[in-house]
Formats: sequence, C-alpha cells, structure tokens
Amino acid sequence: MGDAMVGVVANPLSGRDIRRLVTRASVFPTAEKANMIQRMLTAFHAVGVQRVLLGTDLGGISAAVCRAIGRRGGPGAGWPEVEFLDGQPIRQTAQDTVDAVRRMVAAGAHVIICLGGDGTARVTASAAGDVPMLALSTGTNNAFPAVREATIAGLAAGLVATGAVPAEGVVTRAKLLEVRAGDRAETALVDVAVSTQRHVGTRAVWDPATLTQLFCAFAEPDVIGLSSILGQLSPVARHEPHGVTARLDTQAPVQVLAPIAPGLVMPVGVRGIEPMRPGAVYPVDARAGIVAVDGERELTFEPGERPTVRLRGDGPRCVDVPAVLAASARLGLLRRTSPAPGPPPVARIGR
Amino acid sequence: MTETAERNALTREQLLSAYRMMRAIREFEERVHTEFATGEIPGFVHLYAGEEASAVGVCINLDDRDTIASTHRGHGHCIAKGVDVGEMMAEIYGRRTGSCHGKGGSMHIADLSKGMLGANGIVGGGPPLICGTALAAKIRGTRGVSVAFFGDGASNQGTTLEAMNLASVWNLPAIFVAENNGYAETTSSTWSVASDNIADRAAGFGMPGVIVDGFDFFAVHEAASEAITRARAGAGPTLLEMKFTRYFGHFEGDQQTYRAGEVEHARAELDCLKRFAARVTQTGELTRSGLDAIDAEVAATIDRAVAEAKAAPPPGEADLLTDVYVRY
Repeated sequence: MGDAMVGVVANPLSGRDIRRLVTRASVFPTAEKANMIQRMLTAFHAVGVQRVLLGTDLGGISAAVCRAIGRRGGPGAGWPEVEFLDGQPIRQTAQDTVDAVRRMVAAGAHVIICLGGDGTARVTASAAGDVPMLALSTGTNNAFPAVREATIAGLAAGLVATGAVPAEGVVTRAKLLEVRAGDRAETALVDVAVSTQRHVGTRAVWDPATLTQLFCAFAEPDVIGLSSILGQLSPVARHEPHGVTARLDTQAPVQVLAPIAPGLVMPVGVRGIEPMRPGAVYPVDARAGIVAVDGERELTFEPGERPTVRLRGDGPRCVDVPAVLAASARLGLLRRTSPAPGPPPVARIGR
Repeated sequence: MTETAERNALTREQLLSAYRMMRAIREFEERVHTEFATGEIPGFVHLYAGEEASAVGVCINLDDRDTIASTHRGHGHCIAKGVDVGEMMAEIYGRRTGSCHGKGGSMHIADLSKGMLGANGIVGGGPPLICGTALAAKIRGTRGVSVAFFGDGASNQGTTLEAMNLASVWNLPAIFVAENNGYAETTSSTWSVASDNIADRAAGFGMPGVIVDGFDFFAVHEAASEAITRARAGAGPTLLEMKFTRYFGHFEGDQQTYRAGEVEHARAELDCLKRFAARVTQTGELTRSGLDAIDAEVAATIDRAVAEAKAAPPPGEADLLTDVYVRY
C-alpha cells in the first residue's frame, strides 16, 4: 500500500473525572497525551505510514503536536505528513470525537487509533464503521482500551495500515451492547449497568450500592471497572460469542470483592447470573433511574420507558497489537540485514 | 443506600433551595446589567450570570462553620453563601445600608457573619485567605472547611499556586474551585494556561484535581460534596475545575471583540437553570408551576432590592472615620 494512512484521535478530557477525588485514579496530563502521539508518529514513519490525520481539540493536545512538528523543522522531518482535522466547530463534547472519526473514515484511513478511556473507545467505535480501530488507554476505567506503550501501538497500527501484516487474524470484531429506551439508543463495548440514581451528575459510577443490574459483553478476571464484578464469578472472554448478566443487590448471599474503579475494591452482592445470548433482548428491571454505559452514567429513564439491552456480534473491528507484532516477527518485517534505504531503521523523537 | 449515595441524593427542599439561589443570582445579575447602563451605579461591576451552578453547587454543601473567599466576579458567591441581596444591591449602589456601608462596592462585598470573606479585586487574592481560615478551623477542631473561588487568570498567579502548596503541606480543609470561563479579562485560557487544564496542576501539589461540567448543577454538587466531605474528614485539599462560559463581558462595558457565538450557544444549549428545570420536572421531583412561583418571588425580591437601594442614603461625612480599623 503506497498511501498508508492512520487516523489518531485523543480525548482531551479523559482521565480527569471525579474518580481522581473519590478513589486514587491517575491523572493523565495533556502533555503526556501529546507525547504519546509523537512517539506514534515516530513508529508510523519507521514502518512506512505516509499520512496521519489528527483530530483537533481545545485541550492543547493537537496544539502541542503542531508545535513539535514546527520545532522539528516542519513536515517531513522523520515523521509522516500530519494533517490536522480542523475547520469544523469544536464543541468540547464527545461529538468532537465522532466528527473527527467520521472525517478519517471518509478520507480513507486504514486504521484509527483513539486515546482515552472506555467512553472514548465507545464513541470512536460508533463512528469508525468497518475501519479497524486501536484503543489506547489514557482514561480511568479501562476494560476495553489497552494500557500499552504508544510506540508499540504505532508500529502495530502502521503494519496493518500499510498492509505489511494482512488484517486476517490480527483484526478481530468485538461485541457490542445496545441499549434502547424509547427512541433513544446508546452502545457499550464492555458493560451496561442500571443505577437507581436520578441524575447523571459527574457521570462516573463508583458507588455499587445504587446498581441493580449489570450486563457485560465480556467479563475478564483481570480488568478494572464494573465488568470485574462478573469477571471473578463468571468470566467471559472477548472472543466468546455470548455475554453475561446478573442482578446486583447489596443483600444478596453471594458477595464478590471487585475492583470497580482504580483504588476501589468494593464488596458487591450478586444474584441471578446468566449468560447473555447474542441477539436476545433483555429488559431492565428498574422502573426509573439511569443506565451507565462503560462506567459512565449516560441515559436517564422514567417510569414507562423500560429500557432494553441486547448483545450484538457486530461491534468494531479491533487491531490485536500482540498478534500484529507476532506476525511481524514471523514474517521478518522489522528485520534488517544492512542499513536499508528508505525509512530509517531507527527513528527517534528529537527536538 | 451507602453513605456516598445518601450524601449525593438531594431532598426536595435542597432542590428548591438550589433553584431559588441560582435564579436569584441570574435575576440579580441581569438586573445589575440593566441598571448599570443607566449610569447610576458607581465603579466597575463584573457579572456572574452563566456560572450559577458553580457557586450554588458548592455552597449548598456548606454551613455557618465554613468560609469562602471570592473574586472580582463575586455576586454569585455572596448570594450562594447567604448574604442578603438587599444589602448587596445597596452596596453596589454605594449606599449606607449596604453590606459594607456603601464603602466597598461590587468588588468588596463581604459578610463575615455568613462566612463570606469578601469579593476581592486582587486576582489570586482569595486562595491565601482560605489557608488562614482553614488553618483556624483545623486548630479549633470545628470541622469547618474553606473554599476559594478563583478564575483561570488567577490560576496562573503565584499566590494561588503558593496557597495550594501550603494547603497540601499543612493538610488543610481547603477546596480550590477554579472557575474557568475561558477568558482572563480578554485573554483566552487556551493560550494562557500552560497545563491546558487547571485541574492537572493538582497533581503537582499532591491533591486530587477534577474537571466538572460547570453548567451542570448536579455534577458540581456531587463533586463538591465529595471534596468537602473529604476535607471535613481531615483528608486534605482538593482542586475542582469548573468549565463554563460567562454570559456577560469581563466587566460591564466590555465590547467582547475577543469572542463570538459562545454565549448564544451556551444560553441556548447549556444553561444551568434550563438544564436543572428540565431535569427535575422530568423526574417529577419538582413541578414547573413550583419553579414559576420561585421565579416570581425572586423577581419581586430583586425589584425591592433595587428600589430600596436607590432610595437609601449614601455614607455621610461622619462615616469617613468608621470601619477604618478592626479591633482583634
């Protein structure tokens, strides 16, 4: 592929919600998000990506990358050409991510990388269509995005974007949870939780006592977030077709100690665990309250609205970073026998 | 319910009180905006309209043990901390019946009986003050907390950064509320704040820093409630960053050539009063007619405050030598 193109979108607000206060969640400074993108640019260049589309923001991330390009002596100095997706209103909401991802899809990006938490990955997935995505963690509740060095993620994305590693076997389709309440719909990549709280407030969920029901597309025993509740009781892997659901009740005889947020290991009462069948519609029991998707309170519902949850198999296509680099090793893609022409074998970030 | 859920659940009375205070601030500021144009009000005024959810969402968690320090844009903080609106209006008009006997004006309204340490013309003047009151509360064991409201401009001032450091090393019951309305006078915070998010600076002082949607009363209330509970329990200071837009210029008379379209968008789509009303009527917690009754009651109160302020006498010669020194 001679015109390999990668899109990168970073959420300027991820990693700053109330969990910094009520737990000991880490802060992810803007400067580090910008540094991650610069490390990716180095990796992209090393494997032959020629063009990068970068979402713009008012949080200072794209501005820092723009300054860094200027300090390096302008475009082309060891990094791919970077096109900033400006020229449209920045609302400082999730819509900015949607707008940027849609433009990347329309421009023909081969891979889209998103930096953020589960919420950012969910929003990116909603707009990415069939373009493979790679979610990197710069947020709090990270069951879906991986905590991974950006250079490695950049290499993997680049190898897929250039076609050096064929997508088959290294790009896999994730599951999706679809929530409907009246004419409103939301999706989740990891979990849907029902809370009896009345207001969205600070969005984050950190008090399990208000939760009454939980639906998980997958529930791994070693993740952080609400899906960890079922991850310890009835694990479901990402690649399995089914999901898992349960009712949460502080009085339930079965209690599990679950890491529902960074720094927060809480006892949660669980009963009625059952597998979620793909395609089947599961009604929400509560009469009124809030539905949280991927750990964020999102959808309020009133008596009579009765939301439903459905597990779908047609979620986003995701780049499996370890699988890409394993394929690269098998194919010898990063092997050099002598100093090669073209992209430098060693590229470094420098001022 | 757990302690956390109980803490963050608001009673009907609290919801009514929150709406009344937010509406009072809006009505007060819009009326001052109109009256200032007549030329009767001396000095400068800086209006708080648009930012009501911050003052009210924080102060509704406070009581008489607690103190707040404010800014040049202080009317909202005063009202939310319980300062009498009639006395405030008289103070703005420079009348003898004002909170400070007409000697301070808009930028110096203070009422120590309410724990309101004062509006403050010094940018970054408030944060050091609350280190003092928070230390006093800690030594006296009152479990009181102190809150400093300051803007994005003040977030770059040495006084603010020193105060956050001191609050952290002394482990004070202090809350730093950065009200980031996007502009320090006319300078955009996206240009002037090197860390981009003010909340990010908390990490450097070893305290939690949280970004809050400053247009959303419920988000502010929840974050402030957690920060204040934490401070009362002796767990130290917190930095909260409210992001929102002020509806009027930096001061009355500001031509606002540095921004376009933001205010219209915020008033139409994000307004804290509209969002609050839509939410509580949807859940059935309050009724539209109940909110309308508050609107009418508040409008009458502000009408009365303006009429009384205009009719009140200015300070006389004899007042020149009073309130000059404070006996400790």
